[in-house]
Amino acid sequence: MLKINIAQDHPMPLQVSLECMPGELHALVGPSGSGKTSVLRTIAGLRNPNIGRIEYNDQIWFAGGNIKGVEVILPPSQRPCGFLFQQYALFPHLTAIENVSIPLQNSGYTAAKRKSIAFNWLKRMGIADLASRIPSQLSGGQQQRVALARAMSREPKILLLDEPFSAVDTPTRQSLYKTLADLRKDLNIPILLVTHDLREASLLADRITVIDQGISLQTASPKTLFQKPRNSRVAQLVGINNMFEGVFTAGNLTWNGCEQAFNVIDKGKIPPGTPVAWVIPPDGLSLHSEQTPASIEANVEQVSALGQIALIQLRIKGGENKISWEASAAEVRRLSLEAGKSTYIKLDEDKIHIMPLRPINDPRRLLD
Amino acid sequence: MGIWIGHFLARAGALKGWIEGLLALPLVLPPTVLGYYLLVSLGRVSLFGLPLVFSFTGILIASLIVNLPFAIQPIQRAFEAIQPEIVEAAQVSGLSRWQTFNLIELPLAWRGIVSAAVLTFAHTLGEFGVVLMVGGAIPGETKTVSIAIFDKVQNFDISGAGTLSLLLLGISLASIAFSYGVFGATRNKNSNRAT
Repeated sequence: MLKINIAQDHPMPLQVSLECMPGELHALVGPSGSGKTSVLRTIAGLRNPNIGRIEYNDQIWFAGGNIKGVEVILPPSQRPCGFLFQQYALFPHLTAIENVSIPLQNSGYTAAKRKSIAFNWLKRMGIADLASRIPSQLSGGQQQRVALARAMSREPKILLLDEPFSAVDTPTRQSLYKTLADLRKDLNIPILLVTHDLREASLLADRITVIDQGISLQTASPKTLFQKPRNSRVAQLVGINNMFEGVFTAGNLTWNGCEQAFNVIDKGKIPPGTPVAWVIPPDGLSLHSEQTPASIEANVEQVSALGQIALIQLRIKGGENKISWEASAAEVRRLSLEAGKSTYIKLDEDKIHIMPLRPINDPRRLLD
Repeated sequence: MGIWIGHFLARAGALKGWIEGLLALPLVLPPTVLGYYLLVSLGRVSLFGLPLVFSFTGILIASLIVNLPFAIQPIQRAFEAIQPEIVEAAQVSGLSRWQTFNLIELPLAWRGIVSAAVLTFAHTLGEFGVVLMVGGAIPGETKTVSIAIFDKVQNFDISGAGTLSLLLLGISLASIAFSYGVFGATRNKNSNRAT
């Protein structure tokens, strides 16, 4: 298992803790400049944090600062990582097969054996026929496959993927997803994937760590992350549209700007009278053409048709709160949703998730 | 020495500007000033009991110092042109520093190194002021072609000076053409990269 607990305040604040199990694909997600690539580079040893610990099973790769006072810095060449760079970083003067052979340089194998292993990896990536081409003679997708073969050829103990799909077109990306999925089936190593594409992370990863301004905010499965973000910033980063503010007191949530209140169960972590942010997932919302018990009246502000679906913008009557809702074209017809008309919203209280308004992590906690 | 210093400067962080400035001094100093300092400093040093001034070894050392910027700058630029990610990719591929240099950086910078060697050769051949001051124009030992041209003109041997000048002109032109050819090939290759 790969365990990371690192912190620094320069050149950018970084405070990240995460674990990645063998066979797990763990995605690091965050906006540009959030520090996710720095985490990957730190694991590979291309940069070192101020303090912290990076270990793989019983092997310590980095231990420094005030944790136990031990100083261990393993150079990148001695860390058994496969690293896939965003812009491939292939050696431009070497052919595809030579690129893949390079990591086997210190393996003790003969040149012929190294070449044979490299060729097998190229074959596995479906580009054996391109073995004698140099990178400038390959397309972006082909270069990425060579880079993946190079990252894998010395049988790394962990695989680090830095936005590997961002520079390729959609069909190539789909095909690379499949290659990665096939690779995962055969390997039992931790895989860390850096991406800013949340959809991609949800599609591929077992768990996601959300990073913002160098701080890991939450690690959870994609489903949990969307349904139960730890705080309002996480909710914002994962693109939850229906997020509101309120006050939570002993099982009762009041909605700021509305008269409505909801019965919400909390694990007792939030003190009474705390201002909170709360979210409701799409499946916790339903629209009705007639008033029902506990339904809330709303005005339809906008109906935007997007092919087979429509994005409905609603404003709660008597307030400024807005709710957005995705509906099928058939549903829009059934409910006669048109701008200016009234409708009734029902919120499933069981699906309301409340959380502190601000992140509770302090970036400098580990540095003190 | 040019490869080593060029590589060091390409990767250097702090003090880089000062070191570059110091090594480029021979480019801006008048040859006589440089020659004077070398004459004074080498005059007090001997190698294996032999004096360095007015000897072939002396002008070799002087030429090395004077021509170092011509060697370093193209080599440094060639190493700087290598993307840092390429070097990092070598490191995470398990290569040692020496293997990274030998297998990755050196082959990628070879055009700069060849160009530096050719330019330095041509410039050394035409060196005059410093070589005259440190070497003293001793026939058969420290008299270079450019000094010989000067002597021939002084002695009104215009046709002899013309022959030697033509020889230097030919060598310089060939060297520069070769150097431009090497870089021209690099530019064309880069512009033809597949997308």
